[in-house]
Amino acid sequence: MSDNFAEGSNKDTNSSSLLKLEDVWKIYQMGETEFAALKGIDLTISKGEFVIILGPSGSGKSTLMNLLGCLDIPSKGTVFLNGKDISHLGESELATIRGQMIGFIFQQFNLIPTLNTIENVMLPLEFQNADPSSAKKKAAELLDLVGLSEKARNLPSQLSGGQRQRVAIARSLAVDPDIILADEPTGNLDSKTGTYILDFLYDLHKKEGKTIIIVTHDVTLVRYAERVVHIRDGLVESIEERQNN
Amino acid sequence: MRNSNYLKMALSILLHSKIRSWLTIIGIVIGVGAVVGIMSLSENMQKDMEERLSEMDLTAITISPGSSRAMMSMGPGGGGGGGSSASSEDTNLTKKDIMALKSVDGIQYMYGQISGQEDVYFLGEEAELSITGVDPQVWQYSTTDTVESGRLLEPSDNYVAVIGSGVAEDVFDNEVGLNQVLTIAGKSVRVVGILESEGGSGDNSIIMPIDAAVTLIEDAEPDVFDTIVVKAESMDIAENVSAEIEEKLMLSRHVTEKDQDFSVSTSASMVETASEMMESMTLFLAAIAGVSLVVGAVGIANTMFTSVMEKTREIGTMKAIGATNKDILMIFMMNSALVGFVGGILGVIVGSMVTALFPLLGMQMMGGSVSVGLSPTLTAFGLSIAVAVGVISGVVPAFQASRMKPVDALRYE
Ligand SMILES: Nc1ncnc2c1ncn2[C@@H]1O[C@H](COP(=O)(O)OP(=O)(O)OP(=O)(O)O)[C@@H](O)[C@H]1O
Ligand SMILES: [Mg+2]
Repeated sequence: MSDNFAEGSNKDTNSSSLLKLEDVWKIYQMGETEFAALKGIDLTISKGEFVIILGPSGSGKSTLMNLLGCLDIPSKGTVFLNGKDISHLGESELATIRGQMIGFIFQQFNLIPTLNTIENVMLPLEFQNADPSSAKKKAAELLDLVGLSEKARNLPSQLSGGQRQRVAIARSLAVDPDIILADEPTGNLDSKTGTYILDFLYDLHKKEGKTIIIVTHDVTLVRYAERVVHIRDGLVESIEERQNN
Repeated sequence: MRNSNYLKMALSILLHSKIRSWLTIIGIVIGVGAVVGIMSLSENMQKDMEERLSEMDLTAITISPGSSRAMMSMGPGGGGGGGSSASSEDTNLTKKDIMALKSVDGIQYMYGQISGQEDVYFLGEEAELSITGVDPQVWQYSTTDTVESGRLLEPSDNYVAVIGSGVAEDVFDNEVGLNQVLTIAGKSVRVVGILESEGGSGDNSIIMPIDAAVTLIEDAEPDVFDTIVVKAESMDIAENVSAEIEEKLMLSRHVTEKDQDFSVSTSASMVETASEMMESMTLFLAAIAGVSLVVGAVGIANTMFTSVMEKTREIGTMKAIGATNKDILMIFMMNSALVGFVGGILGVIVGSMVTALFPLLGMQMMGGSVSVGLSPTLTAFGLSIAVAVGVISGVVPAFQASRMKPVDALRYE
């Protein structure tokens, strides 16, 4: 069903727009009071872009990221994926979209602690009912790509932070998604490892044309980006186009 | 996700779970152990009962003094069993009662029988044994006992005895052989026959002609009996004969149903009483089993709730990378079923150990030996119960896990 989303269609004027947010609000209800974490965001991300969303803590970056990643739906406004409105979809349809089109990388790595490295990488394929032997083959290739073939049987707890994040990258690539979303991917890593991770993602973007969206408050990462979206208090403050290499 | 993948995920969770969470399966282990134990017990006792029923003389009717209904003295008419020796102080069965019953139709024969515990000496050793005095005229026809060697009692016998195999082999250091002499209450009693082993209390008793036994057993008087054994002409009329005996005796003894001072029971009714007793015991054990299973279910549910809580972020992660609600539900249900399965395996082991202990717990008092071991059907049944309990306990926690919103789950610290 999500092929509809993958292939894109009709309606949207800009054919290259992959994700489009129109006047998106996210309002959290906390007992009596309401809190607007996003207050009317307009943002378009095109296929094959490398975008960094930058902003101070509490500005609403992760909230925005959840909407871009189809993990949540807006309180108000519309989110388009490949030209199709996904703002009102149910959880199972969103799960299918996420499972087939989006790869996630988290600050805390979020590997499944009871599964070993290769099983973690296979997991997104298993959720898509992939054939076990081809899933295993694909996972082994991806582990090789991130240089962790010899750790295939190790549990996450037996890996360093940088190694865990490389496993997480391999996992995010398992279903060959169009979009890679990373929330503070270098937040728990030293600068050398962080650089390795960013270089790796940049390579993917250059060689395979993946759309990469990184959320961070680390300004040193902007050098990788083609576009930097500055967020403050739930609003887009400015968008900075960069000439890269 | 494929079923094999659910199983893999569930197994990986199970294998990495904390020892603490394993403690909660004790309930299900006990529950399944009890269920399996009970069923195996009643299965074996059933078999045992049927076996004994088949070799029992169903034409035998036993009359004992005292109002208590059929005591658990199995083997009436078997001769060796002896009756309830001291069931009542002031009511006796006498020759008069036998006379009163002469007119009852359908009786093949009847005789009075006495029994008591006396010190028996053999080659300088002493042992207290049960002595039963029977009518030598008819006992040889009415008993179901068979001799291993020697003979049964004959009408002309006096101070002679037929002994159980236990008396012959086990009671004294020296084996008691045919024609050897026991000393009871100062009298010499010659052994003329040794019975085949039956595996019951009858193996340790001595059977003598009643006229001789009266002189040996303290408190015994001539023509006063502990039991009157009646043999009906056929098994079909045994119940009717028994009812008529009861009626006649009430008349002759001037008692009513309220102050009835004797009891009449057929072999069949004794078997019935025994199986009733067995049933109520089974029911009691089943109640214990039921309670343990409920406790086990609550234990597993508790563990599952804790596990779901602890794995909130993992659940969020799995949902982010494409797990549907159904995937999450299945993983946790499978996990819970596996916990039940493991509990079931341990329960079946416990159950078979308990079954093995039955014979040591004095279950022989119910008669012969209770065989040991669990049948494959019972094992499968125990495991199925355990898995079912696991699945039932897992439903709510697994559902709760499946309904978590991915965003909230990912934010969970
Ligand atoms: N589930 C929620 N319920 C209530 N308030 C929330 C919730 N999620 C986020 N918020 C609030 O929304 C605002 C934006 O949160 P968000 O997590 O998007 O910030 P962020 O930019 O990612 O910050 P950081 O850099 O610290 O991760 C914060 O003020 C936060 O308290
Ligand atoms: Mg954040």
